Amino acid sequence: MKNLYLPITVDHIARVEGKGGVEIIVGDEGVQEVRINIIEGPRFFEAITIGKKLDEALAVYPRICSFCSAAHKLTALEAAEKAIDFTPREEIQALREVLYIGDMIESHALHLYLLVLPDYLGYSNPLKMVEEYKKEIGIALELKNLGSWMMDELGSRAIHQENAVLGGFGKLPDKATLELMKKRLSEALPKAEYTFELFAKLEQYEEVEGPIIHMAVKPRGDVYGIYGDAISVSDGFEFPSEDYKMHMVERVVEHSFAKHSFYNGERPFMTGAISRVVNHADKLYGRAKELYESHRDLLRPTNPFANNLAQALELVYFTEKAIDLIDEALAKWPVRPRDEVEIRDGFGVSTTEAPRGILVYAIEVKDGRVAYADIITPTAFNLAMMEQHVRMMAEKHYNDDPERLKLLAEMVVRAYDPCISCSVHVARL
Amino acid sequence: MENGKVRIGFYALTSCYGCQLQFAMMDEILQLIPNAEIVCWYMIERDSYEDEPVDIAFIEGSVSTEEEAELVKKIRENAKIVVAVGACATQGGVQSWDQNKSLEELWKAVYGDAKVKFQPKPAKPVEEYIKVDYRLYGCPPEKRDFLYAIGTFLVGSWPEDIDYPVCVECRLKGNSCILIEKGEPCLGPLTRAGCDARCPGFNVACIGCRGAIGYDVAWFDSLAKTFKNKGYTKEEIIERMKIFNGHNPKVEEMVEAAFREVEE
Repeated sequence: MKNLYLPITVDHIARVEGKGGVEIIVGDEGVQEVRINIIEGPRFFEAITIGKKLDEALAVYPRICSFCSAAHKLTALEAAEKAIDFTPREEIQALREVLYIGDMIESHALHLYLLVLPDYLGYSNPLKMVEEYKKEIGIALELKNLGSWMMDELGSRAIHQENAVLGGFGKLPDKATLELMKKRLSEALPKAEYTFELFAKLEQYEEVEGPIIHMAVKPRGDVYGIYGDAISVSDGFEFPSEDYKMHMVERVVEHSFAKHSFYNGERPFMTGAISRVVNHADKLYGRAKELYESHRDLLRPTNPFANNLAQALELVYFTEKAIDLIDEALAKWPVRPRDEVEIRDGFGVSTTEAPRGILVYAIEVKDGRVAYADIITPTAFNLAMMEQHVRMMAEKHYNDDPERLKLLAEMVVRAYDPCISCSVHVARL
Repeated sequence: MENGKVRIGFYALTSCYGCQLQFAMMDEILQLIPNAEIVCWYMIERDSYEDEPVDIAFIEGSVSTEEEAELVKKIRENAKIVVAVGACATQGGVQSWDQNKSLEELWKAVYGDAKVKFQPKPAKPVEEYIKVDYRLYGCPPEKRDFLYAIGTFLVGSWPEDIDYPVCVECRLKGNSCILIEKGEPCLGPLTRAGCDARCPGFNVACIGCRGAIGYDVAWFDSLAKTFKNKGYTKEEIIERMKIFNGHNPKVEEMVEAAFREVEE
């Protein structure tokens, strides 16, 4: 059998976090192979933090990724605090979630307006949209600045928050700052809604329509959110966070420094905003619940492009939720920022919902140092599914102009909002 | 310069992309862009070209693969000015924390016997491979670091390195000293200022992300003695100083000397 290979490659996918490429091999039988190549070097985070002091390791983990550094910091913190058997006070937990939401708002705003929207409007670069789309860029900056500012105030800065520490916070903002935060959040709500309306109009390509297995953290207290102690699967299965290794199986693949993950070892699955909405829409409240009800047909479980709209829905939801969480903390004001912790030996697993999906940290502490660490990031979970969706797109378009196919393949990848620095990670086998 | 616009490239090696994100997130970027032509910046520009000539090349990330070692050489050939941006590019980043573990060891711990078709290398600062003209420090650099550097370039000058420690800014802010008063292992005394003592301002000890001050005025030995008096062991001190100074040969040398002196 003779094959004529025609590789269609995007060496370096633009407008995603990190460095990766797409390779589509077309033979005379159609699409032969599709690969997402991860071309960043490995950084061995788990290996370099083994044997290190717990607080220093916790300062280093967020450096895995800038777009979701708060997610890394807070998930690692929770795993570490579970390991040493420390539970933060409710008001501290509420403020940590507000910090996390700051990350969520900033990350979603950047992804939607700067990384996704230019494709739909025919721009190579969002900065070129300023003349024509002043309002949209204005909203993008406003939402981004709000998220950054929340992280500045609660985390010390928008990238690599040092203020979140074992036992609580180094320092808390004053009451007036938290009141101002509420005010700015309520002012942002109409802009978040505008974002939702805007993204509801964008095409969700039917070429990639099909059944998807979704996984999401089951939120605590039955309110849609970030923290949880179990994982729900869209086929109705549910398992405790501690059992993640049994149901989310990782494998090394040759073309990537990042591993791929499979549900129960065989099926690719998806995680992210759309997965959260699919599995837990019944736990939404407020304006986001209304928007979900009226746009259910667009927030569907069968298309990765729905992830963009799901992120826009979350901009609305988390803006409202942050206000409620701040109220929760203010009700107990003045709040002591930090409790003394005793660094005991132990093992802890934390699963949270980062902007891009499930983030897992498992940390064992021994003699005040990290004895074992396992980190799995949303993009690593998503890679196998992402390749499958790029393949579906390629199968419909491999006879088109290669430039068109490249753009469509990139758009599939961008809908996942991949975070490649995250995925180049570091797990022990 | 083409049509009066500065040709800019922003290149990433192995990093968390935080330096680019910091740059892209500055509202001021909208005022800069009309004066610049973005030749290569994958994070925001789809039409990016890695091997085109540029006036200013910003490089973030450590050199961690054979491919990246080649790329930096190519960037150097194409660029009038090369700026290393952030802790990874200037100091090798946190991935250089553990110089005692070999690449093989790290590889085995993470990937086992699995083979991938890339050529990993031990993480190193960009300067180990090419000449670097200027540096922006920090993990990530502050927005004002970017504004200052670009501002100086645009008026035909260049950014100066800061040669005084974080403590200076801490005093100016009126923070209480968490090293002296609380015994926290703050690296402020030997870390390059410019962050406005950001972390100590939150009652969090400095971890040294802006790297040790240059010109051999980072006194690792004096600080080691202070830490020792607060009850820290030699190993703990070296480990902490190396989070962001993994490639600085002075750390071990000076801390060892300080401990010998104390013993004598």
